[in-house]
Amino acid sequence: MIPDRFRLRNYRQKVTYLAAGILIAAVTLYLALPIVALFLRMTPGLFFATLNNPDVVSALWLSLFTTCITLTIVVLVGTPFAYFHSRYSYPGKMIVDTLIDLPLVLPPAVAGVALLVLWGRVGILGMYLNMYGITIAFTTLAVIMAQIFVASPFYLRQAKSLFEQLDPAYEQTARTLGASSLRILTRVTVPMTAGGLISGAVMTFGRALGEFGATIMFAGNLPGVTQTMPLAVYVGMEGTNINVGLTISILLVIISFGIMIAVRLIQRQEAKHA
Amino acid sequence: MLEAVIVKKLRDYTLDLELSVKAGEVTVLMGVNGSGKSTTLNIIAGLLIPDTASITLNNECLFKSTDNIDIPAEDRRIGYVLQNSAVFPHMSVRDNIAFGLRARHLPRQVIAERVAYWTEHMHIADLIGVKAGNLSGGQKQRVALARALAIEPALLMLDEPFTGLDADSTKVVKDLVREFVKKLQIPCITVTHRVVDSADIGDFACVLCQGKKEWEGHSGEIPELCSVCHCT
Amino acid sequence: MKETFTPTKLALIGMICCLLFVSALFAGCTQSTTTSLATATPTAAPVTPAPTPVVVATTAAPTTVATTATPKPSFTPSENNIVVYTAASLTGASNTIGSSFNKAYPSTTVSFDLDGTQALKTQIENGAYADNFISASNSYTNTLNNEGYFVAGSVQPLATNYIIVILPPANTANIQSLADLAKPGVKIAMEQKAVPAGTASLAVIANLANDTLSQSWANATMSNVVTYETSEPAVAAKVALGEVDAGFVYQSTATAAPSGTYTTLTIPQKDNYLQTYTIAVLKGSKNQAAAAEFEQFMLSSAGQQILAQYGFSAP
Repeated sequence: MIPDRFRLRNYRQKVTYLAAGILIAAVTLYLALPIVALFLRMTPGLFFATLNNPDVVSALWLSLFTTCITLTIVVLVGTPFAYFHSRYSYPGKMIVDTLIDLPLVLPPAVAGVALLVLWGRVGILGMYLNMYGITIAFTTLAVIMAQIFVASPFYLRQAKSLFEQLDPAYEQTARTLGASSLRILTRVTVPMTAGGLISGAVMTFGRALGEFGATIMFAGNLPGVTQTMPLAVYVGMEGTNINVGLTISILLVIISFGIMIAVRLIQRQEAKHA
Repeated sequence: MLEAVIVKKLRDYTLDLELSVKAGEVTVLMGVNGSGKSTTLNIIAGLLIPDTASITLNNECLFKSTDNIDIPAEDRRIGYVLQNSAVFPHMSVRDNIAFGLRARHLPRQVIAERVAYWTEHMHIADLIGVKAGNLSGGQKQRVALARALAIEPALLMLDEPFTGLDADSTKVVKDLVREFVKKLQIPCITVTHRVVDSADIGDFACVLCQGKKEWEGHSGEIPELCSVCHCT
Repeated sequence: MKETFTPTKLALIGMICCLLFVSALFAGCTQSTTTSLATATPTAAPVTPAPTPVVVATTAAPTTVATTATPKPSFTPSENNIVVYTAASLTGASNTIGSSFNKAYPSTTVSFDLDGTQALKTQIENGAYADNFISASNSYTNTLNNEGYFVAGSVQPLATNYIIVILPPANTANIQSLADLAKPGVKIAMEQKAVPAGTASLAVIANLANDTLSQSWANATMSNVVTYETSEPAVAAKVALGEVDAGFVYQSTATAAPSGTYTTLTIPQKDNYLQTYTIAVLKGSKNQAAAAEFEQFMLSSAGQQILAQYGFSAP
């Protein structure tokens, strides 16, 4: 049925497509199956019933609250920082560059220890704060600080690279037209890099939401104060309250998916209007 | 009236020239790629700092290295159309043209008037609400021109304004530049590497080679670039 | 297009093949469908690893359906190495135990997987491989025994431990007695209640409330707890750092620490909670002989001496 002249020529093509199909399926399944299994483990009835559990509710609110604050701080402080860092050269710039990347490779537990040794009650800086009655360790503030430390590189690196790659002609033109640095940043630079910045922000949010090691080391584990969702999952799965652990895991999956879909939609809107 | 004496050491050579453009005149800056044309414009605009220079515009000193005067680029009131127009693609034509006016905090009424004026005279009134990124090359160039002229600059500079434009758009841009430079009586420097364009648009021309002015005269009499520059 | 096989069709064929393959894996490897949630539980997977196990041996397969039959081995045991799942409070003692055992039985080395007993139990229930199990809690041991994980008769009491309160050497909060734990502003670290030391500490507080101190003391003390750690050594670490004013840990931790690491507050024995450590050999062990040897070693005077050295009391 297949003409002879097609047969030999297309053999390699067929193999390629077959291989592609297998690879795509393999990767998709490897990523999707654990998530599916999570949902299969729970019945909807049990899931909704467990949602009322006070540990679940408090972990959910705490996580969302701290992660949103973390994201706000990282974006508001990180954007101008990345802007200046990418546009100006200053002594020690290379060191700062390395420091931005550091939390990515540093084990989170180490980050937690470092934060504790600095800001803790008997910490190098913390002991002075303690004299004024300000304690950071074991508070919700500590959760936020830990999240900022581990998650900010995702945004900073992204913003920095986007700004570096932006054609300087736009900002130069804006300068000759009389725009201040702030106006250039807000009306030209950021809108033109918005898509990439949003994806950087999403990664930051995700990393902050999932933060565990630094949190438990620096902020501790206290329901309602420092027990974020990942901590609650770990504690719940350790034998006494598996349903709580599973329910929160499913919640985290749903939230993550929700964010990703929302971002895709936003980016598609942007592309449509461009 | 623009008077500029500029010296700047660059990677391969030293830029060292003297430029003088009268109000209402267009001077064309010519030369092969890398001869320092764009660098000169950037220095006059204040985007690049020269080693020693003296730049005055209408008797106001923009930069004088000996007296430590350096007016920032934002305050030099120079209309500069960079290569490839650099219109802000995410903003509408209206917002592009109004950009410099808003930056200077002009009243809304004035902004609206000027936008209307320039969109009409640049023949882009029907595109006023369109996102600049969606325009054709020629349309973008006219928006950039309108944007630069809307701030009522004392000097207009254009860097390779005809790249990527078809013959019709090129003619339109040339006509508009000549018209408004004459009308507003401001000096204009245009950088281009095409001899044929310079004759149309410019009154005078200079040829730059390796940062030095090798020839200047009326734009109708420009010699073959390589004969002047000994280029290989 | 004259071809019968378009690129899309081929890609789809590839995907279907993959799906069939994976379904075959599913069908072949699993035995039971999901049962009650209490017994069949997936392994906890922290998003970013917490400070923990010395040697990690957790389930490898991405599917999380657990079986109630023979646990699936998760790494290949070697003939010369036994894996001992050990309660975290034995962290300090583990190196000495390992090298002493190896001296007595040169053909075998010991790998310790140290973690909170509750975490170890969950892992075993999900198919993790171990030769021996040292537990800090009778109830977890009993659960696993009833589930049939241990070799009959191998469950033996190993050591005992009491709870003690440790304070940082500086003791800036000036805690002089157990009653001071209820003072406002005092920061206390305790283990999470699923951790055996946590259950023990709660029991101790309850006992003290009924005995010499009051219920209001207990309430105030509990509200001074700023963190529920996931293992006993983590509590000790927070106290050693001086970040909390007091912590509930095992006596062994205090005894074994170099002098000056902590200040201690003893709890009267009648109010204290006797934690019994048990040791057992797992049915799924591939080195039954070596595992049995290890258990014997730990119960013998050699093993007991090491435990005593690290502050554990006799069973």
